[in-house]
Amino acid sequence: MHIRKMTGTEKFLLVLIVVYCIIVAAVNPAFLSWETLFDLIRSSAGNMILAMGVLVVMISGGIDVSFPAIALFGGYTATRLMMAWDINNMVFAFAVSIGIGLVLGLINALIIYLLKIEPFIVTLGTASIFHGLMTVLVGTTNIGASKLPTSYTSFGAAKLFSITDSYGAEIGVSVFIIPVILAIAVTWFMLYKTMIGRGIFAMGCSEESAKRAGFNNFHTRLVIYCFAGVLAGIMGIIYVANCNTCNPISLIGTEMSVIAAVVIGGAKMTGGQGTILGTFLGVLIMNLLNSTLVFLGFSASWNNFFIGIILLVSIGATSYQERMKNRKNFIYTE
Amino acid sequence: MGEKFKRMIKKDISITILACFIIGIMLFLAISLGGKMYNVRNFSSMAFQVSEFAVLSLGMSLAMMLGGIDLSIIANANLSGIIAGYVMCGKLFNTGNMSPAVVIFLAVLAALTCAALLGALNGVMIAKFSAPPMVATLGTMTFYNGIGMAITGGQGIVGFPDMFLKFGSGAVFQIPYVVIVLFFVAIILMFVMEKTTFGRKLYIMGENHTAARFSAIKNERLIIITYTIVGLLAGIASLMIVSRVNSAKVGYGDTYLLQAILVAVLGGVSPSGGKGKIFGVLLAVFSTQMLSSAFTQWQFSPYSKKLVWGAMLVIIMLINLLVDKKMQTVTAAAPAKKGAAAQS
Repeated sequence: MHIRKMTGTEKFLLVLIVVYCIIVAAVNPAFLSWETLFDLIRSSAGNMILAMGVLVVMISGGIDVSFPAIALFGGYTATRLMMAWDINNMVFAFAVSIGIGLVLGLINALIIYLLKIEPFIVTLGTASIFHGLMTVLVGTTNIGASKLPTSYTSFGAAKLFSITDSYGAEIGVSVFIIPVILAIAVTWFMLYKTMIGRGIFAMGCSEESAKRAGFNNFHTRLVIYCFAGVLAGIMGIIYVANCNTCNPISLIGTEMSVIAAVVIGGAKMTGGQGTILGTFLGVLIMNLLNSTLVFLGFSASWNNFFIGIILLVSIGATSYQERMKNRKNFIYTE
Repeated sequence: MGEKFKRMIKKDISITILACFIIGIMLFLAISLGGKMYNVRNFSSMAFQVSEFAVLSLGMSLAMMLGGIDLSIIANANLSGIIAGYVMCGKLFNTGNMSPAVVIFLAVLAALTCAALLGALNGVMIAKFSAPPMVATLGTMTFYNGIGMAITGGQGIVGFPDMFLKFGSGAVFQIPYVVIVLFFVAIILMFVMEKTTFGRKLYIMGENHTAARFSAIKNERLIIITYTIVGLLAGIASLMIVSRVNSAKVGYGDTYLLQAILVAVLGGVSPSGGKGKIFGVLLAVFSTQMLSSAFTQWQFSPYSKKLVWGAMLVIIMLINLLVDKKMQTVTAAAPAKKGAAAQS
């Protein structure tokens, strides 16, 4: 296994992160503490898992905006079932949520394949359908921290290893990092070591060529959207454990920030390009900006502004590079 | 007489389907809700809300007719509303000694210019940087939301002059001002799309970018102008919104995005570009507004409303697909039949 060189986007993002950390540390030395690092790991775990699913979908040329609805559906249903059947086991929660994610991802893939429309419009529709189905079938009650099954709280507070900080409190790397590492490993393996992964890249570059080369696009689509659904289901449980409440509307509207993070990381929406390291750095930058701009003295309302600037710069640079490459090959219509 | 009718229907089958759909809905609502639905007060409250949404949907369908999409239209409207608010409430420069009419005029001018510029930024990203429309408008949506949040800190701007508020909530001869504005916007857009070369070029480019470029159509200029018009429409909508709710803040109308896409698709605009009539979009807007009003009467929860919109989107696309397939088999069979008839 050879370590490949970093692409231009990844180098740019790495430099950006390092420069940003230096600036923040210079302004406010409290930034450089274990607590910040552990908080960052904890808060970006959910987004990282979702971003892996979105990355796989985007490499294949499609897009999926229904994953927060799937995550919400999975998490909320699992919690309600646990409360109704009096089971207090995290494995059960994960199993239910993954199952729901699988089924909903399957529905996405079927509709996209049968109706042959843009995946964006289809998943926009299915997002509303899933969310509506959840509120109709399962209910809309808000589940507060006191009523939540205790295994959630212990899962949310569990740590891999912990140290005591200067105030004597115990802080540590949250257990959330295990699903993240698992998700990244599985994505890496699927994309770069299996035939399905080659099929995903092929379909992203050109669907027709992939079909003629022998890839079954329908199978590839099934795998992609089910994978995204499963990851969304996992994230749903982590989200409930993180926030320690279960609320039927909270995740709706966060899809754009995950997609933005993946786009910052260098994945092209037209398909065929995208790296795991780039997505990782993209999510990292996004969460870094969201949680540590306060160290620089900016209030929380400035988050979107900086993220928007980085997003626009990244989109502009990537697209302009692609345009110049096309012009050199005398392609004037992209 | 029957022949002429058949020809009119065949000319644009999607508008016919849409018209049947609307007549069906109106009849159904008349039967089930009767007087609760069809009274003047209900219509007048619907009329105020439908105008701003209709203008936004017209903007979205214009972008979709070009083959792209504009996710930033709501953020654009919010930011322009905030700029108008700052000018009108005197926060940007001192307006104490100017007459209210001048202040309002300046604010309207500022909002429309700002909205058009923001739309032009979209166009430049898509045309000059070759960014895919979805990515570019996603980026600008985040950016415009960010500017709006940074300027206002999340709070709304209140305290608009009364003369301005009359625009949003006033009426002349029982027809609200906003409906009159919507009427003029729709007429102008219909004229531009059907009768001018600009409209023709837009349709051609939406259908096939490559063919358009090789037909001496300046693709990049067309894209920038179209997105500027979309931005201008967002600006007009923002003035309607701000004058109706008497506040300008970020995040108003986020649910309008899905609805605008649904309405555009329902109105016959194809997401891959090149097809769609302004009149169809207007019909779709009115029918969804009536459905929405009926949902409120039947006391659906907001979640169920979203469920219905999502389901309708998928079903409409399914119907479009089936109709397209049927039209293809019909047109493929016709020359074969003619050939067989000519031979025999």
